[in-house]
Parts: sequence; structure tokens; C-alpha cells
Amino acid sequence: MADMNALELDSVRRAYGGVVAVDNVSIDVKRGEFVTLLGPSGSGKTSTLRLIGGFERPDAGAIRINGVRIDHLPAYQRDTTTIFQSGALFPHKTVAENVAYGLRMRGITKADITPRVKQALEIVRLSGYDERYPAQLSGGQKQRVALARSMVVRPAILLFDEPLSALDLSLRLQLRAEIKRLHEEIGFSAIYVTHDQGEAMAMSSRVAVMRGGRIEQIDRPEKVFGEPANEFVYTFIGESCCLKAWIAAGAAADSDGDPIDLRLSNPLGEGAWRIYIRPSRMHLGRADMPNGLKARLDFTEFLGDVHRYHFKAAKLELFVDHPGAVAHKPGDLVDIGWQTADMIAYQ
Amino acid sequence: MADTSSILPARRASAIPVPRARKDAIVLRVLTLAFTVFIIAYIAIPVLVTLAMSFNDASAIRFPIKVWSLKWYGDFFGSPQWVDALESSIIIALGTTAISTISGVLAAWAFERFTFAFKPLVYLLIMLPLFIPGVVLGLGVAMAFGNVSLLGFNVYGSRALVMLAHSLWAMPLVFMLMEATFRTVDHRIVEASYDLGGKPLRTFFEIVLPSVSTGIISSALFAFVVSLNEFVMALFLTTRDTQTLPVLMWLSLRSAGTPRLAVASVILAAAVFVSLSLIMVWYIRQLRKT
Repeated sequence: MADMNALELDSVRRAYGGVVAVDNVSIDVKRGEFVTLLGPSGSGKTSTLRLIGGFERPDAGAIRINGVRIDHLPAYQRDTTTIFQSGALFPHKTVAENVAYGLRMRGITKADITPRVKQALEIVRLSGYDERYPAQLSGGQKQRVALARSMVVRPAILLFDEPLSALDLSLRLQLRAEIKRLHEEIGFSAIYVTHDQGEAMAMSSRVAVMRGGRIEQIDRPEKVFGEPANEFVYTFIGESCCLKAWIAAGAAADSDGDPIDLRLSNPLGEGAWRIYIRPSRMHLGRADMPNGLKARLDFTEFLGDVHRYHFKAAKLELFVDHPGAVAHKPGDLVDIGWQTADMIAYQ
Repeated sequence: MADTSSILPARRASAIPVPRARKDAIVLRVLTLAFTVFIIAYIAIPVLVTLAMSFNDASAIRFPIKVWSLKWYGDFFGSPQWVDALESSIIIALGTTAISTISGVLAAWAFERFTFAFKPLVYLLIMLPLFIPGVVLGLGVAMAFGNVSLLGFNVYGSRALVMLAHSLWAMPLVFMLMEATFRTVDHRIVEASYDLGGKPLRTFFEIVLPSVSTGIISSALFAFVVSLNEFVMALFLTTRDTQTLPVLMWLSLRSAGTPRLAVASVILAAAVFVSLSLIMVWYIRQLRKT
């Protein structure tokens, strides 16, 4: 029993009209695991979450919580709670009443509710806000109340529906760290939906990258970043430059046939290739690295932490992030080098 | 000379003729003001005349008023017949409010939340009585329930029947107002309630209703006022024991027009004004809250 999964999705499918929103999705979430569904809008991540929460019913497949099938049950009979993007606090109830709501619905006595509400508000650092109304709270405070309201009932699994996307950046980072701290302290099981890869990387035990209603890859964040399963995952996670090169007889050219001075340690076969390299993994003025490209500096952007150098090689465009300024001027021909492990090529 | 002219600008300005465009604007302002005053007077005069007449000591509705007194107020509240009629009016209005608010709110929620067959047709049916003349509705109800008695209870002439008849008008009104109000309910908080384990019925009472309390209070007061003001259906459906204030006023106007009628009018109008000001106060308080 101890190793039973908190949540299992087994080939779950849901279509709206002719559009398949969730296509054969299978995920197991172990107890205490924090799994993120990451994907662009329309990738089916929120639809998947709504199927788990009970706001939609799957057309096919099974959903199990603690080994018990629940996909036929309405939301109010499922042991899940959701932290909504909008917070969705009850505007006519105080903070304490909002947090107590789920406990009351579960028939817990008033004597037990009061200390649990107090504790939950302590956990989200909102002690003393009991009697306030949601309208009197800031955006970040509202989301903390939503978090307390969902956590206080100790559900089998907590569902996060892009809870931070409506907040500004500094608050987002702060709350992200707090959710991570709470997860480490309390060890709840969670599914977290986001389109922000930073959130996904920072918080998750595992990340499921979704596209078109399917899971493209599900793995630890380092694996998804370092060993992407396919081109989509590679391009979706992290920034990358794409060199669209035509290889023929060991030489590289752009789509017009103009030659490019491209040097690769593992030669590619003939044909059209898309070669991806992270802008932070390319080095300027390094002709000594296993892979290299000569390109002309086009223009420079200052991004704060780094300078971004935009290059052109025939029709190809790429950019390299480099800390600090370099001596090159626009129009200079520069050697760009990178390690073989930092590149990936798709045909 | 240049100095004096600069410190006496007013004298110079008065010499400049008012441009034609400004004259037009002034004429327009005077006209709109006059029209507004006329409208207000037109609305207020009957009310003020009635109010004045209610303090007339004489036994006939006639100007000029020679002696002012509260005699007819004393007479009104001393007469069991008039007090009974007032009581009847209020009981029927309260009953109508209860019936039409409960049914109107539930019907509006059903329309907002669920899909069912023939929805537009049902909508039309609910709204239809609002556009049927009171005479037709009153006669219809009178004919339908004229000789009906349930378990020894005589339906015709009972206050319950008048409440039901008035609800034909009041309920569509509540329905219409509440349908618009329910549409403003944030569906996400309803989902949040389900999510936290709130069953649909508890969610309705704990989450949905409190967030539309303003709409419920104001539509209930509208229902109350509609019933209080209604005359024709009440005339057809009441007996001597259950007649409402407007019915008794009509009957007594046929026999003898004393300032007691003016007193009854003032009391009826006051009840309506109080209800409407309650709506206003409630609205303003709600606006301040958010």
C-alpha cells in the first residue's frame, strides 16, 4: 500500500466536438510527488487538470486516486482540491470562512475546524488576516488564501491551475519559492499546470511536456532539459538557435545554396538539417572547439545579465549570449564554437 | 490710460456683446429647465393635493381647506373595515413576495444553469402574464377558481388566491431581474465550491445566493410593490372579508368621497415609497462595499 500512486491517469481521452483536447494521456503521480504539466496554450494541460478535478468527464480511460477509480464521480465527491488561476475566493466570506469552507463541507466539527484554519493561515503566513474579506487583500495574498483553502482539507492530490500567472514577476518568484518550501515541508502530492518553464523546472519532481493533447516527454526537469525526447521538447524548453543547413558532400550551405563555414565533429548525412544550439552554450572567438561556425556580427542587444550578439552566416541567423562586452564590431567575421554535447540536430 | 484699463477688465468685458451662440445655449437651458419643472410639477401635484386633502377637517373632498386636522387619520385607524383592508393588502403583498421571489429565483437559476427542452418557449410562457391585461388575468382566475373548494377551504375569495394571481405579474418580474443577476455570478466560485466538496444544493445556498443578495432583495421589494398597487385582479377575486385597500377605496369612492380616501391614498403611497427607498439604500450600501 505504501508505494501506491496518489494519482493514476490511464489512457485518458477527452474531445470537444471534433477537437481532441486530451489524447491518450497516462501519468502516474507517486505520493508526495510534484508533477508539472508544461505546454503552450491549447496543449491540453488545463483540460487534463479539469478531468482530474472532476469538472469534465473523460470520454475514455480511467482516473484513479489512491488506487480507486473516480472518473465517474462529480467534483464534490473527489478527494482533490484546485488552486485556480483567479484564486476564485468566495467574495462574501472572510479569509477564515473561505479556508474553513472545505472542512465544513466534509462535516468536520467546529471545534476541529478552528485550529486547522489557524494552522493553515500560519503556514501561508497570513495569521491575523482571518476577518478580512478577499476584496481587502492583494493579489499575492489572495493566492495564499486559495492555497490555504485547498491544503487545509489535506486532499489526496492538490491541483494547481496556473496559480501564479496573474501575478507580477517578483511576486511570482516569491510565491513559487513558498509553494516549493511547502511541498518540501508537508510533502503533498500535486499536479501543477503552467506554461512557464521556469516554474516547471524550479518546482517539479517531474515535468510532463504536452503538445496537442499528448504528453511528449515526462521526466525529471534536468532530463527534460538535458535530454529532450524530440525537437518540440528541445525548442519549447529553454532558448535555442536553429541553424537550417543543407549538407551535401560534407559541405554546408543555406537554403539558397550559398556556402556556410560550418565545422562539425560528427559529420551529418546529406540533406536538410535543423541544428539546435543553446545561445548560452556557444562561445565567441573560439576556433579551437570541436564544432564551429564563422559568422558576421550583425548587431548587439544588452539584456542585463548578458549581451546578446546576433550573427549572420549567409542566410542563417543565430544569436550568442555572452557575459560582458567583446571587442567585435558589426560586420566582423567571428569564430563561434561549441561542444558536441551542447548541440542537437534533426533532419 | 493703459494702466487703468488693465486693472479694470470687468468694465471692458461688459462692453463686449454676448455672441449669438451663447444666447442660443441660454435659451436651450431655460427651455429644458422649464420642461423639467413642468414634469416634476405634473408628477408631484396630485400627490401633494392628496397629501393636503388628507389633513382636511371637513367631511367632503373640497377646496379650500378651512380647518387642518388629523381627524381623518384617526378615523381611518379607528375603522375596523379600513384597518382590515390595509392588513389584507400587506398580507397579500407579503405572500405574493414570498411566492414570486422563491419561484422566480429558482426559475431564473434553472434558466441560467441548465439546458432543457423548449427553453425559449418556456421563457415566453413565464414572461407572458406580464403582458396580459389585469382584467383578463383577474377574470380568468375568477372563472377558473370561482366555485372551487379544496378540503373544505373555499379557494375563491381567499387571500391565497389573490397572492397567486398577483404572482402572475410579480413572478415574471423577479424572474427577469434574477436572470440578469445570475448571469453576473462568477462561475469560477461555483466550481471552487464543488471542488471543496460543496454539493450542488449547499453550493446554491452558501455561494450562489449570497452573491446575488442585492438582486434578490430588490426583486422581492418590486414584487411587494406590484402586489400592493394592484387593483383590478384584487377587485375580481376578493370578498368583503379579504378586500385590499385599493378595492375598498374604489368601493367607498362610489358611495361617499370623504378625506378618508385621501388618507388611504397617502398610506398606500407611503408604503410604496418606503419600499422603493429601501431598495435605493440597499443598492447604495452594496455599491460602497465593493
